[in-house]
Amino acid sequence: MNMSPAKRRRVNPSPSPSVDDRSIQSPVESSSDELAAGSDRDEAERRRASWSLQKVYPPQRPYPRSRSYSGSESPDELAVDAEVYWRTSRRGRGRPARPARSPTPTEVSEDYQDGDEEGQDEEQEEEPDEEQETEAIGRGDEPDREETEALGRGDDLDDDHDDHRERDRDHRDQTMDGGADDTPMADDYEDRSPTPVPPPPVPPKPDKLEYRAKFLLRGHLRGVSAVKFSPDATMIASGGADAAVKVWDTRSGRLINTFEGHLAGISTISWSPDGATIASGSDDKTIRLWNVLTGKAHPIPFVGHHNYVYQIAFSPKGNILVSGSYDEAVFLWDVRSASVMRSLPAHSDPVGGIDVVWDGTLIASCATDGLIRIWDTATGQCLRTLVHEDNPPVTSVRFSPNGKFVLAWSLDDCVRLWNYVEGRCIKTYQGHVNRKFSLSGGFGIYGLPGAPAEAFVVSGSEDGAVLCWDVVSKKVLQRIEGHTGVVLGVDTCALEGKRLMVSCGIDGTVRVYEEADPETEPTEPETQPHTVQEESQEKEAPEPQDTEMGEGE
Amino acid sequence: MNLSLIDPFVLAQDYPDTLTEKLRSGHATCLRFNRKGDYLASGRVDGTVVIFDIETNGVARKLRGHTRQIQSLSWSRDGRYLLSSSQDWKCILWDLKDGSRVRTVRFEAPVYIAELHPYNHLLFVASLFEDQPVLVDISSPKPIKRILPSAPFRPPPPPDEDVDPAVMAKQAAQDAKHSTCVTIFTALGNHIIAGTSKGWLNIIETQTCTTIYSMRLCNGVVILLRLSSNGRDLLSNSSDRVIRTIVMPDLSRLGVDLEPSSIKLQVEHKFQDVVNRLSWNHVTFSSTSEFVTASTFMNPDIYVWERSHGSLVKILEGPREELGVVEWHPSRPMVVACGLESGCIYTWSIVSPQKWSALAPDFGEVEENVVYMEREDEFDVHPAEEVHQRRLDQEDEVPDVLTIEPSLHSTYYAAPVSDPAGHPDGDDLGSFRMPVLLDISDSESEEDIVAVGPGTMRRRSPGAGRDANGEGEKEKAGAGRGGGQRGRRRNA
Repeated sequence: MNMSPAKRRRVNPSPSPSVDDRSIQSPVESSSDELAAGSDRDEAERRRASWSLQKVYPPQRPYPRSRSYSGSESPDELAVDAEVYWRTSRRGRGRPARPARSPTPTEVSEDYQDGDEEGQDEEQEEEPDEEQETEAIGRGDEPDREETEALGRGDDLDDDHDDHRERDRDHRDQTMDGGADDTPMADDYEDRSPTPVPPPPVPPKPDKLEYRAKFLLRGHLRGVSAVKFSPDATMIASGGADAAVKVWDTRSGRLINTFEGHLAGISTISWSPDGATIASGSDDKTIRLWNVLTGKAHPIPFVGHHNYVYQIAFSPKGNILVSGSYDEAVFLWDVRSASVMRSLPAHSDPVGGIDVVWDGTLIASCATDGLIRIWDTATGQCLRTLVHEDNPPVTSVRFSPNGKFVLAWSLDDCVRLWNYVEGRCIKTYQGHVNRKFSLSGGFGIYGLPGAPAEAFVVSGSEDGAVLCWDVVSKKVLQRIEGHTGVVLGVDTCALEGKRLMVSCGIDGTVRVYEEADPETEPTEPETQPHTVQEESQEKEAPEPQDTEMGEGE
Repeated sequence: MNLSLIDPFVLAQDYPDTLTEKLRSGHATCLRFNRKGDYLASGRVDGTVVIFDIETNGVARKLRGHTRQIQSLSWSRDGRYLLSSSQDWKCILWDLKDGSRVRTVRFEAPVYIAELHPYNHLLFVASLFEDQPVLVDISSPKPIKRILPSAPFRPPPPPDEDVDPAVMAKQAAQDAKHSTCVTIFTALGNHIIAGTSKGWLNIIETQTCTTIYSMRLCNGVVILLRLSSNGRDLLSNSSDRVIRTIVMPDLSRLGVDLEPSSIKLQVEHKFQDVVNRLSWNHVTFSSTSEFVTASTFMNPDIYVWERSHGSLVKILEGPREELGVVEWHPSRPMVVACGLESGCIYTWSIVSPQKWSALAPDFGEVEENVVYMEREDEFDVHPAEEVHQRRLDQEDEVPDVLTIEPSLHSTYYAAPVSDPAGHPDGDDLGSFRMPVLLDISDSESEEDIVAVGPGTMRRRSPGAGRDANGEGEKEKAGAGRGGGQRGRRRNA
């Protein structure tokens, strides 16, 4: 890869003290890793490689903790590297690039030796740095920020997410430019993006999908963070930042019911396997059950999590509910008694995603620490941990329909398919944008009747599209535009022989798509979806602020 | 799905070793797993039947209808129906879909043991206290009871020989002394095996209700008969303090190439404690019938013998009270038993240690130190895009994410996890799903456990009108712990 001269200069670990104004460099400060790396030249190369790897995925943690990317470096060293990196990149904006410095792991301490003035300077810069990094993490993790506090995954749905994206992009550009101020800031972003152009379709087997918009369901007052078909596909449940769960009729798009009771935004919903109950997990730290048939709330909320509930999943028998939370734990709830039956010491970072395999014996969880863990439901033991080399935060996880693979969304614009038995990533699906939100999706089935069913992977994107990839070829089968903001959730189903898809997004809408019949002419004029508006919306429209519960701040 | 990830050495252990759980709902006296092994039915002293969910260890359903202690429980094959028999002279067939009573059958005497036909949930046999055993057809609302013979089968005398009437009379008098204590169906349900008070085993044809074969097993009373899940072995507990395993003939070949006269029941093993002369409260086969388990009289131990050599392999310990009914999970190495004194249900199973290598993918577990051999290209540096692209290019597998492999586990390991009995209709196991009741636990806790202060609970007496105050300290401790397993109480 080509680097700007400034960067190269900066990276070059020239040992000459004439360039480096710090004359004192104690041998203690050089790490053993460095010594092991052989010549300085090698070291430079290696370091550059590790940095450029970081560019593929900029570290987005508020604290300098990072896992080894290259496999050969100690975590400590890298952590310092990352911090130095951020600091220099920030600084690069305001002042010229520094002369070549040795990127030793002791950079921080060196900075403080450097002189009082500069040390303080950097001290001051530390704060905004951290803040911005925190913002980069999906779902608005930082509880102290006002506008996102009650919203969880569907955070800043209504406020200026464009602003966030702008900042985010800005942020990334700095990463790309490596702090050199002589490169243009934002304009060359598009061609630098690792997003591959969707390859042209190939003739054998259906090479594209034809999902067409069917309904546009309006009713949520704020962004919709989760949408799910009922097990028999006749209903659609959606939950969002307005703390309401809405149930829609799949056939007509009519609103059947609205469940209100949560004190903060809803991040996740799950249907019980018998289709009678919807569970919703919220930023008010509780999980509530709603009876779809009677339209009543279950009297006992599931209380136990210490922080936002991010994702929940019913076991296939409906007797266990699994929840993952911002408090880093995974709870297994006895649904009948609404009590925690087992708590898994799951992760060291907020748990982003949860799924239960079809026969209920395994639970998958993932977190922003970049780990995907597979758990045994019966014993509560961790059976496998999956981690990608680049260690991007994993925000959502799904088992494949046959339970042999795990699909994981990570914040490096990738959806990965893992063979969890062998611990290998076997497919990477790209083409969507996923840098800060916890998107989710799933598997769908396509193929002509009579032919063996093919599977596709579907996901939302932060640019407002829904993407479908073929599982095997990784090619984009369809890209559905429509949403005006981030698409947070997608689900698929088959109802009466028709294949349907539903998506929800930050724009507060739920959209239903139907697969076009391959026999019929594709020149169907009805491209405008039938909009279904909730009648009562204008009448009552409760203030969304009411739903924002103080999270203890 | 989890079998491919579990340590095969853990899977290979096929009998439990550790006391792991303690379930409690009232004073349980009898237990029975359903065929799938996800629910455990327990009958209580007060006549309530409580169904536990083994996955959550919570109460899944309560069935109220009996007024006296439950004597036996029997699940239908698909797990939807449950037959309970009680000392209140009744048998009730429950539909677990909605908890309703399908049939209630009254008898003239308390019921010892009632067992459903393995394939027809509207047919059952019941052995009664000091009365003739009956085969009951409940397909119509009015039950049809047919009395089963208790007398041993006498081969018909040769026609050309005169029979002394005195001998006949003597035999008849002897036969009249037999009373049947236990009746069970064979695996296919075409025959009934009955054990009598004189230590005889009778094989009775279900169709005709006639005895086709008899043998003398022992001198004492046959207390209990159990059939292994594949129906090839019979286990008997008798009052002579010996547990016997008996190899069953293939009765489905009767009339093809097997004559009733050529049936031979052969005792394979006799298990007994020769030193202590223990007698056995209850016996059961393990899931694969490899092991025989028995709870002991006046002793808190559970003995586990293995059948290939007939040796004692394990004594399960833990509770400090005598144990009554003991049951083995139909597919897992798990034993449950209920305490006679407290009515708690104890569970023994295998505790597998956490594999630490599972927590970090780059960790491996080694037996001893290993010299690390560095790969040739281990520290080579490649540009990130190249690495990324190469990684993408390597993803050329063709994963099948849709097809669910049938009985994946049985091909992976010869573990005790397999379709019980391998019956042709083994796939009907998943056909019925008990609905999950969300309000079960409220009624449960309010009725049985009374909070008397922060963190302390006492059990309300199971019998109506009796007061729990007179109960001992041990009882309270047991109740408190039992309540603790239901987390709601613990949180309260």
